Amino acid sequence: MSSLPKEVRSWIYDFFSNERFAAYLKIDGRQCIKSKGGNLDFYGLSSLRIGEPVSQQLEFMEGLLPCPELPFHMPMMELPGGHVADLHFFGDGDSVWLVFLDATPERNHQQRLQQKAYEMTLLQERERQLNAELQSTNEALRDSQEGLSREYRRAESLLLNILPASIAERLKADEQIADNHAEVSVLFADIVGFTERARSVGATTTLAILNYFFRAADLLSEQHGCEKIKTIGDCVMAVAGLPVARSDHAQALANYALELREAARRERFAGEPLSLRIGIHSGPIVAGVIGKRRFVYDLWGDTVNLAARIQKAAQPDEIRVSDATHELLGPDFACDPLGETELRGTGRVRMWRLRG
Amino acid sequence: MLQKKICMLGGFAVGKTSLVRRFVQSIFSENYLTTVGVKIDKKSVAFPDKTVDLILWDLAGEDDIGSFRVSYVRGATGLVLVVDGTRPATLAVALTLRERCEAEFGAMPFILLFNKSDLADRWAIPEGEIDELKQRGWQVYLTSALSGEHVDDAFHQLASMVAK
Repeated sequence: MSSLPKEVRSWIYDFFSNERFAAYLKIDGRQCIKSKGGNLDFYGLSSLRIGEPVSQQLEFMEGLLPCPELPFHMPMMELPGGHVADLHFFGDGDSVWLVFLDATPERNHQQRLQQKAYEMTLLQERERQLNAELQSTNEALRDSQEGLSREYRRAESLLLNILPASIAERLKADEQIADNHAEVSVLFADIVGFTERARSVGATTTLAILNYFFRAADLLSEQHGCEKIKTIGDCVMAVAGLPVARSDHAQALANYALELREAARRERFAGEPLSLRIGIHSGPIVAGVIGKRRFVYDLWGDTVNLAARIQKAAQPDEIRVSDATHELLGPDFACDPLGETELRGTGRVRMWRLRG
Repeated sequence: MLQKKICMLGGFAVGKTSLVRRFVQSIFSENYLTTVGVKIDKKSVAFPDKTVDLILWDLAGEDDIGSFRVSYVRGATGLVLVVDGTRPATLAVALTLRERCEAEFGAMPFILLFNKSDLADRWAIPEGEIDELKQRGWQVYLTSALSGEHVDDAFHQLASMVAK
């Protein structure tokens, strides 16, 4: 300090005294105010009482004294009068000097800058939060959409398993389905001696037999453009010419029957192949869906009844066709005449054995 | 006369100033005005056998904990740690500030406030985390300077702790 010329020291004194409103307190070892002076008025502190405890008069002094680390600087304290002071403490024997220097403009300036910075930071934090929320909402939406379409595809495939595709479509459109089909062929096929065989081979093999037979019936119906309508016990019912009409329905179903019989012969269960009894008849039927919650697509009419009776009359390994079907089959299929046979509820009917 | 210095500690914009204003003057302002430096307020809390004057030091919140002036806390007998319940990162700020104070001045009573409980749809602190802090024996409050919820309870609790 000694190196500062008188003029500079004087300028510094004037600056702190006048521009920064320097004020002071001297606090004795009993923490009472010993003396006071400077611009205390400026800080609204002119009524401080000499000789009385400082912390009773200046609340911020509570707990500060005695202070082991003097000198001590506490910047920017807002005082009750609204001015902001930098507080400087320094020791003098067992007394402490406290100097007030106005920092109101500096505090206000810093506050403006800090305010902008914090508001910006808060906005950025909020933006990040909102983006994260948006993202997780989007993910949840995508998940539930995927779940929904998975469910839909499952329902779709279940429906297709029990109904022809075009029928399923119409059903979804809430259509009542009861269609007349003038020209179709209907087939019944069952396993010869199934009941006795089931009894002797046990449940597991029985299930394997049915599984094999019905799967073959399903797969072949796809290959030949037929529809497997249903199974009744060990009996399969299939149709050709449905739901889309086709002129070669008898031929399609005859080929289906020949391959189904082949498939049955090929596989052995407990050493024995399967032997089928198959009957086919052609004519008009009514096809439709009944039920509201559990759908059943089925066929009705005399044609269906007669096909069933022809099947029951067939011999093991025999594909028996009615006169009507035989006529539709034409010369490409070899058939043996069986003469007229009495069928229950129908009377005498001419039938044929399909050889190939 | 029983007079106790209490410091408000926490990250910026968690609601320290608003909590003091709610407790001392029963008012709330939606406008955010950041605190620079420190402002002192006083509020008396009456108990059947005594009255405690709380000298509340509303300290500037920092986004940079390193720049916190721990010397402001000299002479304090209790801390109010304030967390913004919609900003999970402010919990770590409050706990770190407490550690720095304890390292400098030793352990002292404190309460932990999860503020802005009125912002339920933006609340980001899991209940389990708050329970875990309570199980440490800490005094934890969910407060709203806006509605005043639990603000008086919390300060009264701290007053009874520092008056012992």
